[in-house]
Amino acid sequence: MYGSRIRIAVLLGALIALTGNDVAFAESPSVTAVLSNSEAVVGETVQLQIKVSGAGDTKPPENISVDGLEIHATGTSRQFEMRNFTTNSSVSYNYTILPLQAGRFIIPPQTIRVGSSSLRTPELRLNVADSPGRSVRSNQNAQPANAPKLAFAELIVPKKTAYVGEIVPVEIRLGFDPRARPKLLEGPEISGQGFTAQKLQQSGENLETINGRSYDVVTFKTAIAAARAGKFQIGPIKAKAQVLTARRPNTPRSRSPFDLFNLDDPFSDPFFSDPFSQFGEQREIEINSEPVAFEVKPLPQNAPPSFSGAIGNFTMSTEAKPNSVQVGDPITVTSTISGRGNFDRVNAPTVEDDRGWHKYPPSSKFKNDDDVGISGAKTFEMVLSPNEKKQSIPPLAFSYFDPAKEQYVSLRSDPIAINVQGGTVPTPAAAASRPAPSTMPAAGATPAAKQDILYQLTEPGRVQSFTWFYARPVFWMAQLLPLLVLLGFAGWKIRQNRLDNREARRIVALQHEAAELIRKLRRNDVSPREYYAEASRIVRVKAALARNVDPNNVDAETAADTFGLNADSRERLRRLFEQSDEFQYSGAHNGSERISPENRRDVLELVEHLHA
Amino acid sequence: MKAGKLLVGLCCAMICTFVAASAFAQTDFDKANQEYAQGHFKEAIAGYETLVRSGPLSANLFYDLGNAYFRTGDFGHAILNYERALVLERHHPEATANLQIARDEARALEMQQSWPERYLQFASVNQYSATAAVAFWAGALCIVALIFTSRRSVRLIASSILSLSVFALAIFAIYEIDHGSKGRALAVVTGSDVQARLATADTANSVLALPPGSEVKILNTRGDWVYAALPNNLRGWIPAKSAELVRL
Repeated sequence: MYGSRIRIAVLLGALIALTGNDVAFAESPSVTAVLSNSEAVVGETVQLQIKVSGAGDTKPPENISVDGLEIHATGTSRQFEMRNFTTNSSVSYNYTILPLQAGRFIIPPQTIRVGSSSLRTPELRLNVADSPGRSVRSNQNAQPANAPKLAFAELIVPKKTAYVGEIVPVEIRLGFDPRARPKLLEGPEISGQGFTAQKLQQSGENLETINGRSYDVVTFKTAIAAARAGKFQIGPIKAKAQVLTARRPNTPRSRSPFDLFNLDDPFSDPFFSDPFSQFGEQREIEINSEPVAFEVKPLPQNAPPSFSGAIGNFTMSTEAKPNSVQVGDPITVTSTISGRGNFDRVNAPTVEDDRGWHKYPPSSKFKNDDDVGISGAKTFEMVLSPNEKKQSIPPLAFSYFDPAKEQYVSLRSDPIAINVQGGTVPTPAAAASRPAPSTMPAAGATPAAKQDILYQLTEPGRVQSFTWFYARPVFWMAQLLPLLVLLGFAGWKIRQNRLDNREARRIVALQHEAAELIRKLRRNDVSPREYYAEASRIVRVKAALARNVDPNNVDAETAADTFGLNADSRERLRRLFEQSDEFQYSGAHNGSERISPENRRDVLELVEHLHA
Repeated sequence: MKAGKLLVGLCCAMICTFVAASAFAQTDFDKANQEYAQGHFKEAIAGYETLVRSGPLSANLFYDLGNAYFRTGDFGHAILNYERALVLERHHPEATANLQIARDEARALEMQQSWPERYLQFASVNQYSATAAVAFWAGALCIVALIFTSRRSVRLIASSILSLSVFALAIFAIYEIDHGSKGRALAVVTGSDVQARLATADTANSVLALPPGSEVKILNTRGDWVYAALPNNLRGWIPAKSAELVRL
């Protein structure tokens, strides 16, 4: 046992020794140096990586100095690799290079110390071109001319001049750097005076590249209408958003290895390169756009009578149903105003000549074709009722101002032919048949009414209630009476059934007793006393069953009457009862005397043939 | 003995109070009628309204109140009160006639009744209630008799089925009338220029213009707006203050 443990320990030691040899002597130390890009422009960072393989303890160069380039170490990484029981390790030293000026630069070989020896990197070349419009901040307080933005707002107004009340579509674009994980908190809102704006509708969201940078652009659409003439300023657009950004400048932070030169890139924080290493900061930012100048002209003075404030470009269609009616019947006239403009000011077309017609207030329904309700169709349903015979529905008129033509336009529908039958509007027959009012008010005090109402009633009449009968307590109290009747009826029926059951049980008992006695009579071992007593009992029981009386109250005469016996049978029955009484009360024929078979047969025959 | 005297005294006091109240109401009613006869319709309306608030109610009271509103040109309230008179007394010929006139004047719209509602209108809810009660107890008696009778009589079974069928029909009629277009939720538009709208906002699209006196059936209430079934099988929101329930 002890020997086997020693053998395992020796084997393990040999394996570890072999492995150690492999690690130490897998390959000789080597070094490489690469640039992420050999071509760059001024201000564009380039990564330099020096990789030392197969070496344990290494020491990188502290400073790499090249005129026109700013080079900073950004970190070290180690890699271990095992392949076919051979372990390799490598160390990478990362640097970021910021070209400060254009030109051809040579990064000289760098010395890497490996233990007691040293390695040299190859020489590297970097070509830097000039970049117009891009300046590099060389110190921390300088502001970049074109610093990257987390978010922007843009107000697009296609028209710079409009008329009072004219609807002008407006587009608002909010762009966010998607890395900032933006969340819109407020707005956007259009600030400014002298115009009304419709509710903003989000119309789209897409990813756009602006100046080489990706933005998540959210588009809102609305429409504005100027309330008065003059020169206005629309905007700026204001919005608030919450974004994820680097920590505030006054808080200590470890900057991104890619922002060594303090370019004020909001994403230079290490959070964006490794979100799990440190947390970013959520910050509210205000987004503003540039305002837009806007000129509003007043409407011309010569507005037609049917003009109600509609401005835009419209068409009108009209139809009426039904086309054949009686006088007083309703006709629904449907007119649809379609086009583009301020539909909130589009009112129902007016009836040019409404004499002989009764008009009901029209209803309207608007169906928009766009997000902001500038384009669509507004349908008006107006009920017209002819008071007299008519040939056609009068034309409908609708006027609007066309800002493109800069003039008023009047639309007029064609008359719609209809067939109206009957003379005048009928009056209610009930009203005509009533007597004259008894308490009519003074003349002239009534409003103008074509038909007059009936007289006033001087008696208050019967007191009544709006509460339904079933909802009143008296109704439910009244239900107690039939309930009591029902309960009484049920109780009476239950009692009746119980009584019936008792009688039935008695009858069954008597029938059972009669059958039992007959069975006894047929036996030969019965004494005369018992025989006659049981025979007379059978007769009593049968008579009791037939007459529904107590068997003890039945005598020979009663039994004979019950069964309607003839004189002979009556006599035999009487003798049977007498003999029974005699045996019962006199004590004669006691002992072991037996009844003759003739007598037995005679009694049995009599008893068995008794039927009511 | 003393208790008996006290009971008699209480009865007398109650009768006297009732008679006095009736006489007082009669006096007020006569006074309102006089105002009406003199053409003082607003005063007459005030008098009738006081009686309505204090009670007791009667069809004639609402009819006279409707007439007073009609004279002031308030057709919405006139129609409302004629309808109330007809709810209390279905066969009130004067109210029926004046309601027709007021509707013609106001061009008021009426609710369309469903066909069961139309056919069931030949009796009132109260009559259906009494019928349902009688049929129920008759059916119950027949069923009890069936339970306790040894021999099942065909006549008894038929009577049970018939009674319970009548009961079910009466209950259905009560439900239909009570929840129908002219049931307990019936209201009359009393405001002017009332528009039924698609949403609870004055700027919402209009569904239907409702002249005063038009009937609506209130389905739901939300704040100052009511959602109502409208004539022509439409539905829409109307301001709550512009319509009043017919049944008080």
